[in-house]
Amino acid sequence: MQHLANLSELRGKVDEAAIEVAGLSHVYAGPDGGVPALVDISMSVGKGRFVVIVGPSGCGKTSLLMMLAGLRQQTEGRILCHGRPIPEPDPERVGVIFQEASLFPWLSTLDNIEFPMSLRGTPREERRRRSQAMLSLVSLEGFGERYPHELSGGMKQRVSIARGLVQDPPVLLMDEPFAALDEQTRMTMGHELLRIWSTTRKTVVFITHSLTEAVYLADEVLVMSARPGRIIDHIEVTLPRPRTYEMMATDVFGRLRDRIWQQIRKTG
Amino acid sequence: MRRPDPATVRWAILAALLILWEVVPMTGALPELFLPSLSKTLTVLWIDLDIYFAALLVTLYEVAFSMLIACGLGILVGALVGGLAVLRNLLLPIFSSLYAVPIVILYPIFTAWFGIGSSSKIAFAGIYGFFPVMLSTAAGIRTIDPQFILAARSMGATLPQQITRVIIPASLPTVFAGLRLGGALTIIGVVVSEMLTSSAGIGYLVTLNRTILDSARVFAAILAILVLSIAYYMMARTLERRMVVWQTAGRQQKSSSRDSTVAIAAPSAA
Repeated sequence: MQHLANLSELRGKVDEAAIEVAGLSHVYAGPDGGVPALVDISMSVGKGRFVVIVGPSGCGKTSLLMMLAGLRQQTEGRILCHGRPIPEPDPERVGVIFQEASLFPWLSTLDNIEFPMSLRGTPREERRRRSQAMLSLVSLEGFGERYPHELSGGMKQRVSIARGLVQDPPVLLMDEPFAALDEQTRMTMGHELLRIWSTTRKTVVFITHSLTEAVYLADEVLVMSARPGRIIDHIEVTLPRPRTYEMMATDVFGRLRDRIWQQIRKTG
Repeated sequence: MRRPDPATVRWAILAALLILWEVVPMTGALPELFLPSLSKTLTVLWIDLDIYFAALLVTLYEVAFSMLIACGLGILVGALVGGLAVLRNLLLPIFSSLYAVPIVILYPIFTAWFGIGSSSKIAFAGIYGFFPVMLSTAAGIRTIDPQFILAARSMGATLPQQITRVIIPASLPTVFAGLRLGGALTIIGVVVSEMLTSSAGIGYLVTLNRTILDSARVFAAILAILVLSIAYYMMARTLERRMVVWQTAGRQQKSSSRDSTVAIAAPSAA
């Protein structure tokens, strides 16, 4: 119910940017001076949009995501998340989902989902109510008392998504969340993510190195170059929603995927 | 044919050993001086029960205090050394190499400093057990998956919350392994030091009866120490299993594919 309320609120101002990045650069301190990692990144992510960032390994896309999450500070440039800078993590504004599900093995599924709320001393009943709601959102009813080691890879990522969403942040950052999954599970999870996204209408920034995944999920694809990373292409994915498996065989899908690949190959 | 349950086999081996202990001395294959029979050992234990009980109390008292030193100090120093890079680089090589030194050579110094009473045993065994506890605590903290900390930070955990909610539970399995080993070493430390120089305790009874060639009483004392060590080990294991459910469960899951995961039982959800 809570999500429906947010949905109407978000639709009212869908043109505003959820994330605004201007002139961002990052230099890693190295033994012989600095190593430039990111160069002059500027981007704008509209509210409720699904934006995918693709790029070769080591291009700094994870670093960029860490900065959007407030987990790392950029050397230069500005990040605004819902109009305000994000100097430190703020789970009320941004939920982060990592590649390894990074669930705490000593906590049950429900306790894992409730972890961010328990850090803030949310009352127990309130926590249980919301974590149960999240559990059904990710289709894991009945698995609340299980421990992570009792879950499959796909299920762990579902729990991880539930944990990222539990505080109802408007923005969800996902760092190659399905990279460790087998291809079939990955397909299913991509589809599941789109379903969850369409019911919650979060703004999603999703990092991947899979071209197919990028085109399948995205409203917009940002292509990054090899290190030092810069944004070299911005592609609108015009495929209609809801996306279906059959679309992958279409010419449009193939052309979009080719275009991303050509861009990445040029920089390699 | 079904393979017999490993637990059953273990008990059977134990029973066989006890029976051999009873039977072999009766056949006269070994002189009683070398191996007095189980029944004879138990008989002297029963006759001198008050002596053994008093000695065991002394030993237990020393073990309790040295464990307190080993575990308390070990966890404290281990946490500092594991958590702070400065201390780690400075101290870890020293501690690691000290661990390789047979500390028992220092025991004469301990008796010179603390006398031959309980304090020298407590100090010696405390230090003896300190090293594994300290080293595994340090290792436990150092080897925490950085992804856990990153995830906790992304959820807005403050530094104290990161320590209490992530670092401590994540390092528990390694710390417990160290406590189990460290505790066992304090028992060894106490008994050995009692055997070397003392006037009380179960180790003292071993030495005393050995010098007067009373084998049955030596074996009775050894039996008491065995029971003490096994009881300690079982307590430590039970506590460990309770505290780190996920770890033991994870290990079982890896070692046997029979008790398959829930994941396989519910493919529709994955």
